[in-house]
Amino acid sequence: METTSTDVKLMAHLLRRAGFGATKEQLDQYISSGYEETVDLLVDNEDSSRIDDALVRRYFPDQSVTHDTSGAGSYWLYRLVSTDSPLREKIALFWHNVFATGYTKVTNGKPMSDQLRMFRNHGLAKLDDLLLELSRDPAMIIWLDNVDNHNGAINENYGRELLELFSMGVGNYSEDDIKECSRAFTGWSIANSDYIKQLAVRNSIMPYGKLAWRYEYKKDDHDDGEKTFLGYKGNFNGEDIIKIICEQPATAKFISRHLYHFFVADEPPVPSWPYKEPQDLAAIAILEKTYFDSGYDIGEMIRVLFNSEFFKSETCHYKKIKSPVELAGNVLRTTEEFKTPNIRISERNSQVTFMGQQLLNPPSVEGWHQGLEWIETGSLAERVNFASQYLGDITKPGVRRIIRNVMDHEGEYISAEACVDKCLDQLGSIQISQYIYNTLVEFAQENGIPSINLLKDKENAAKKISELISLVASVPEFQQS
Amino acid sequence: MDGRGFMFPVDTAIGKNGRMHTVSRAYAPATAQLRITMYDIDSEYFGIYGGYGESLGQFKWPTGMASDQDGNIYLSDELNNRINVFSHEGNPIKYWGEYGTKEGELKGPSGIAFDSSGNLFVADHMNNRIQQFTKDGKFILSFGNKNQDTLNMPWGVFVSDDGFVYVADWGNDRIVKYDSNGEFIRSFGSRGSGNGQFKNPSGVAVDKDGYIYVTDWGNERLEILDKNGNFIESLRGHATISKWADEYFDSNYEEAEPRSRSNLEPDTVQFGGDPHEESAHIEKLFWGPTSVKLDDDGRVYVTESNRHRVQIYERTG
Repeated sequence: METTSTDVKLMAHLLRRAGFGATKEQLDQYISSGYEETVDLLVDNEDSSRIDDALVRRYFPDQSVTHDTSGAGSYWLYRLVSTDSPLREKIALFWHNVFATGYTKVTNGKPMSDQLRMFRNHGLAKLDDLLLELSRDPAMIIWLDNVDNHNGAINENYGRELLELFSMGVGNYSEDDIKECSRAFTGWSIANSDYIKQLAVRNSIMPYGKLAWRYEYKKDDHDDGEKTFLGYKGNFNGEDIIKIICEQPATAKFISRHLYHFFVADEPPVPSWPYKEPQDLAAIAILEKTYFDSGYDIGEMIRVLFNSEFFKSETCHYKKIKSPVELAGNVLRTTEEFKTPNIRISERNSQVTFMGQQLLNPPSVEGWHQGLEWIETGSLAERVNFASQYLGDITKPGVRRIIRNVMDHEGEYISAEACVDKCLDQLGSIQISQYIYNTLVEFAQENGIPSINLLKDKENAAKKISELISLVASVPEFQQS
Repeated sequence: MDGRGFMFPVDTAIGKNGRMHTVSRAYAPATAQLRITMYDIDSEYFGIYGGYGESLGQFKWPTGMASDQDGNIYLSDELNNRINVFSHEGNPIKYWGEYGTKEGELKGPSGIAFDSSGNLFVADHMNNRIQQFTKDGKFILSFGNKNQDTLNMPWGVFVSDDGFVYVADWGNDRIVKYDSNGEFIRSFGSRGSGNGQFKNPSGVAVDKDGYIYVTDWGNERLEILDKNGNFIESLRGHATISKWADEYFDSNYEEAEPRSRSNLEPDTVQFGGDPHEESAHIEKLFWGPTSVKLDDDGRVYVTESNRHRVQIYERTG
């Protein structure tokens, strides 16, 4: 098995975690820029994706209006596999899981897509800005019933989750704090709220399709009285509450742990966090310090995280299981099937759902649990079949290019070992165990690859190599990140 | 799917006796809703025809519609690369067209229009050209991709009574005028949102006085130009509640009542000048105007995909 340089392994690790993987050509390009420069590029890149919304809208009117979960989900998946700013989409995916909002209750794809756009635009900004945007987000206002949070008749749902799941975590506030927090967010509503609520409950598209939603502050419905929150007293409004929340060490720890959980290594599910310390307290401490030093800047926390030794360490390479969206994103970016919009994106989006992750519809306000929970009998078969089918499809332009690169400079024949090495390299310098390597070499041998004349029998060689790629896509390391 | 209403309609043909045929493109998981709906200007409903598939009378990505002199309805299908033909009553007659890039072949047939001789012009959008066929599909002429004025993913096409061909050059943000032999005459417009400018125009039609109507799709508006391309007027949409919608509200009081208390025309300042967002929030505005058609009485029909309706204007001057 060919030895891979540390630089390559590290860059491949970064691109798997900060994006959706990278081919050898992309890795070479990033390596020539340097590791820290690549981190800066990923973090500082504005949303400069080459997504041509006009073309999507022309071909798919349902994605133009992000009509339902199918249209909105397909549109997002297309963005994920087409973007030049992968961290922007990754951070949207991160917050979509932390601030989990589900289509089942919202029943309108447009506010869901608007929320994702907000995550894209503010997800690497300062936490207080992000929480302010979140509190004004129409999908969230419906999802957690702040539309029913009135002066004199509070609904605690948003106030509770803002503290429990979105910022501080259980054990760091009292029931009274929840009530006072909720009072501060009374009047944070949406326009035409009675009509919008009816349309959402009935999932009505009549008569002229779904209306977009917009935030509206209802001053008359806001409780402007004095409140006591986390020991502070004042006539607090929502902005004041967010400011106090962001000053709390518990918030720094909670957000740091979420970032570690998503980008570095799996932590146990969030409900157990009050009872189990983080696995790497030193890493969390570094992130907490950055949180305060940077003025709650998420982008700075991520920059420090990617440049840290705890992230770079090979002990955490391949220790996360790709979520279905991450797996599909990796596969479809590699196959280059969606360089331009096409009708198959809807089918791919459905396949991601079958693997256990329906975009825009997390199972609960806790989002999806990570790690081994992605793997069960049915979903594992879907995952392996998905990766093997598309990466082994010789008609896909990205697969054809990989095969061409494998065959290049090999002369008439290629050994089984060289073929396996080059396939692993082309798919993003995948590091595998010796046992699996031997199995792949054995397959290549038995499949007759070494005896095929690459110059005279190109199509047959391409077919056999595609079968090998298909097998590589099924190995555990490809399913991991 | 049966009954009235549209699901992401993209074009309307005005057929025999003023009967309107509007095609719903629907979307991938809801392919059962692909259909053509027959009705008239008084909202009288005559039924539906067509459906998703590749067999006779079926289509996958319906886009452009036209009616021939006998009242038969022609429908382009961008995915099956063919032209479907139906009778005035909606019975399938035949289809023709082959995928490819050679002359006479199609790659994403989009807008279609008949000339006065009964030949069909097709915006062959992925081949960046216009092709002319007999109504039975025999190739006659191809143009629009042979010089510096090459089209870029053209969408709507229109043939005036005096034989000039107008093309909504979607990717180049302009309207292009050709003579009946496909010779370039001139173009109107440039990319932008100002008067006389376009952002991805989708449809074009010219009335008997030479006024040019353009569905300026990316700007979510209808622009009207004089015969020299000078700007006359811009319309953002003025939809009222249709008879069908009215009947829906009559039987769905739970929605009608809170709707009656709602502000459905908020100040547009909050949408940052983005017409797509404005239209997403304000129901009466055009949202996704995909085609413009004219009838013999001077009415202007704008099919808009994202609000599932057709807005009809009458000329007042």
